[in-house]
Amino acid sequence: MWLVALKSSWRQSFQLMTRYMFNMVSGLVTMYIIFLMLFFGVKAVGGSALNLGDTLEGLFTGYVVWMIVIIGYQDLAYGVTNEAQTGTLEQLYLSPVGYRWLAFFTQLFNSLIYLTEITVMVVIMMLTTGKWLHLDLVSVFPLFAAVYAQALGLGFALAGLALVYKRIQAFFQIVTFGVIGFFFIPWDRFPWAKYLPFAMGRYLLEKVMAGGLRLWQLDGSDILVLLISTGMYLGLGILAFSAGESRAKAKGFLGQY
Amino acid sequence: MSVLSKDMPCASRDFLEPNFLAVKHLRKTFLDKKRKVEAIKDISFSVGKGEMVGLLGPNGAGKTTTIKCILGLVKPDSGDITVSGIDCRRNPREASKNMAAVLEGARNVYWRLTVWENIIFFAGIHGVSVVKGKEYFEYLLEELKLKDKRDTEVRNLSSGYKQKTAVACALAKMTPLVFLDEPTLGLDVESSYELREALKRLQSEEKRTIIVSSHDMRVIQDVCSRVIIVSGGKVVVDAGVEELLSLFRTRSYRIVLSRNGNGTSLEEIRRKMTQVFPQAGMTETRDTVEIKVDLKNAFEIYELVDTLRDLRAAIETISQEEVDLERAFLEIVRRENEICG
Ligand SMILES: Nc1ncnc2c1ncn2[C@@H]1O[C@H](COP(=O)(O)OP(=O)(O)OP(=O)(O)O)[C@@H](O)[C@H]1O
Ligand SMILES: [Mg+2]
Repeated sequence: MWLVALKSSWRQSFQLMTRYMFNMVSGLVTMYIIFLMLFFGVKAVGGSALNLGDTLEGLFTGYVVWMIVIIGYQDLAYGVTNEAQTGTLEQLYLSPVGYRWLAFFTQLFNSLIYLTEITVMVVIMMLTTGKWLHLDLVSVFPLFAAVYAQALGLGFALAGLALVYKRIQAFFQIVTFGVIGFFFIPWDRFPWAKYLPFAMGRYLLEKVMAGGLRLWQLDGSDILVLLISTGMYLGLGILAFSAGESRAKAKGFLGQY
Repeated sequence: MSVLSKDMPCASRDFLEPNFLAVKHLRKTFLDKKRKVEAIKDISFSVGKGEMVGLLGPNGAGKTTTIKCILGLVKPDSGDITVSGIDCRRNPREASKNMAAVLEGARNVYWRLTVWENIIFFAGIHGVSVVKGKEYFEYLLEELKLKDKRDTEVRNLSSGYKQKTAVACALAKMTPLVFLDEPTLGLDVESSYELREALKRLQSEEKRTIIVSSHDMRVIQDVCSRVIIVSGGKVVVDAGVEELLSLFRTRSYRIVLSRNGNGTSLEEIRRKMTQVFPQAGMTETRDTVEIKVDLKNAFEIYELVDTLRDLRAAIETISQEEVDLERAFLEIVRRENEICG
């Protein structure tokens, strides 16, 4: 049943994707433009005041991490509202696979699509900016996976919110940019900031991608922080989602928009 | 010819499992902005495997809420729900394998996908692969007359076809239990008739357990063998459609006398009739006199005939008042309101 469901979900995602192609392309173009603005803006001002690392490579990494975060959470978060609007949310809830898994399947599909596109885009960016990152897959992949898992947690939490507070998309827009705030808070003044979502992931990825370190050259305690926060945020996110779900079911407005 | 595979668990003719769906003492109160809405006060019923049951009731009676509680979309305050012996509240995932539904007031399907794409998606997330279901899906398209629209995006279809697509998607999941909440809402007479015919055909071939909620009595009278009437969050009637109709049918008689040729004057007839049957009503037309009598019990018919014989009335016709479900339903709801009000 799971395999059939996964296959159906991905086939449907693909079909929907081809019908909503314009949205996706325009999304990517927007992301690229924002990057260019950031990059050349910071280049002009000088980025050393922030915790973004002193280098443009640091900024570059930050941006890539940010994109991973976005592709990790946005389909989950917007999914609830979108399905409620198309009038299919309750139908998805009837599936024995369960909505959260279906949502995860869709999220995964879209992430894979985005990932391919982002890879292409990163190369384009590297060409645009002349900054080259170290893409050592063995080191980069686990770190990205951790960031991605944290983003899933965020996505589930936001999806739970969307189940209860229906018209909340404006808030998601804020979150999208608010996430960057987690990168900016300097750790020397606020040591707890390294436990914030994505903060440690970004820090370690910068070391790898900009600094050229390998995974095993990283600080063990930092990796521990990363693992703990990843487990915590994913768990909390799913918990928040469950809470939103039972509230919507108790109130009887699961499918409403 | 049914294309359903042998392992599809829905082929019982004589309700081998009388409690295939069992709902016991269901209660649900909504808290809506500090206002309490007792949507379900106490609902219990059970449905046998292979039965087709109509769920009737005025607006706000609690039909949709009941269905959603069974489906696990609304969390009830208390009560037991089992489907095929599985506790729906403790084990919702396992229970949901047995159920599919067309829900009221929602689109139910993706307007951006074609009819076929919708079918294979919704069947797929219920574990029915294209390979396993293809033949049956084709059969559904045939039965619901959707074949021509197979590759049309749903948003380009008329509302009748949209609704039929939703029904097809629910049936394609091959579950033994199917809920249809207002499946003919917004359909014109023709589309509604077609959908009903299709449902009847499918039901007679597959013997699935289908629960239909509708305000359209024709739908229920047409396709269901039993009806559960809900009012004010309670079950007020749970009876076979025929049984229910006969309950109302035995009581009401209409006698047409010719105006001329009676052995007694019309005044005498009127006097005598109102004396014996105070509840009787008489209307005169140009050629005939019509008497309407609601009999109190089954034996009063003899008294009626005797009275007419004594009057030597020239009877043209005696007929039972036509009862349909609509009248029966209205009558029940009226009585229910009298008791409650
Ligand atoms: N989510 C909700 N929040 C608050 N009240 C609700 C909610 N859903 C239903 N109700 C109320 O519960 C009662 C029963 O509603 P329900 O939808 O079950 O009735 P119904 O029999 O399906 O009616 P209809 O024939 O109009 O479809 C109504 O008074 C309705 O207003
Ligand atoms: Mg309803």
